Amino acid sequence: MTGLQKQLVVLLVAFCPLLAKAQIKYGADAPEVALPAVSGDTLKLSSLKGKVVLLDFWASWCGPCRVANKGLVKLYGKYKSKGFEIFGVSFDKDKSDWRKAIAKDKITWLQVNDDGGWEAPTAISWGIDAIPTSFLIDQNGKLIAMDLTGKELEKKLKEILED
Amino acid sequence: MKKLFIIGIFTLFIQQATAQFSKADLQATGLTCAMCSNAINKALQKVSFVESVESDIKNSSFAIVFRKDASVNIDALKEAVEDAGFSVGGLRLTGLFNEVKIAADQHIKIGNSHFHFISVKDQVLNGEKTVTVVDKNFISEKQFKKYSSATKKDCIRTGKAGTCCKNEGLAEGERVFHVTI
Repeated sequence: MTGLQKQLVVLLVAFCPLLAKAQIKYGADAPEVALPAVSGDTLKLSSLKGKVVLLDFWASWCGPCRVANKGLVKLYGKYKSKGFEIFGVSFDKDKSDWRKAIAKDKITWLQVNDDGGWEAPTAISWGIDAIPTSFLIDQNGKLIAMDLTGKELEKKLKEILED
Repeated sequence: MKKLFIIGIFTLFIQQATAQFSKADLQATGLTCAMCSNAINKALQKVSFVESVESDIKNSSFAIVFRKDASVNIDALKEAVEDAGFSVGGLRLTGLFNEVKIAADQHIKIGNSHFHFISVKDQVLNGEKTVTVVDKNFISEKQFKKYSSATKKDCIRTGKAGTCCKNEGLAEGERVFHVTI
């Protein structure tokens, strides 16, 4: 490697974390998420094209996430048949904690687990620094909103799916 | 025989009170779920003498390992947590002690820092020991009240030496860490 090439590599390495952490822009394609579901099979976010998807980062030990689940159960019941799906990504290290929380909160939507948490590629590519964090993705796989409250989410779903 | 005696004195001299902290267990509190944010983790990792940080979800705490032989600044850990928007709910420091004589309500210099042991039995610390910091904003307000009533010395309220202890070699305004075992 020439000196210049070496410098380039150093620069690239130095900027990689910055690139990976780049703010996700509305209207941009949603980065892929491919993680194991409860069954162990890999579930892909991209397989849900055609639906309005809420990508929801959470964990069983995250109190605010558990509170939010209550609201999501109601919204999911109301809008699932109209083309709404939820793709939950849990940061639980212990899979049994995750499964117990799914049962306790009566979660029937799609669930995958990323035991790597904050440091895992999914969290890094989505820029996750805190949970709960959620993203709304339209039928074409484009990002349309982030961190909507229960009420805001319902308003948005009404707008997109009932008109 | 004389030689042996001299060697004996010499070893006494080099076996002065030392302690090198190697790791800590830090509990954070705040208005929101402290473990739900990666901010504390990141802030602690940026502290110069911190080697690694691992979050312990079950105990809502952060297991911190210090760089080998690094000088540990206890206040810097608290500042990192506070800069991340949280506060410290508990801090336990573990380290290797060597002939550290402690007594209740006494100041002792360990390394470069001054410590004030609260509610402890007179003893000599040797080997791996863990101390809990009981300074204000390192424990809950309620616990702080309990520990601050266990001493008549004023330094627990400010974390700094008053005029009391100049004869102990402790200048006024110098940081004193209050700890218990």
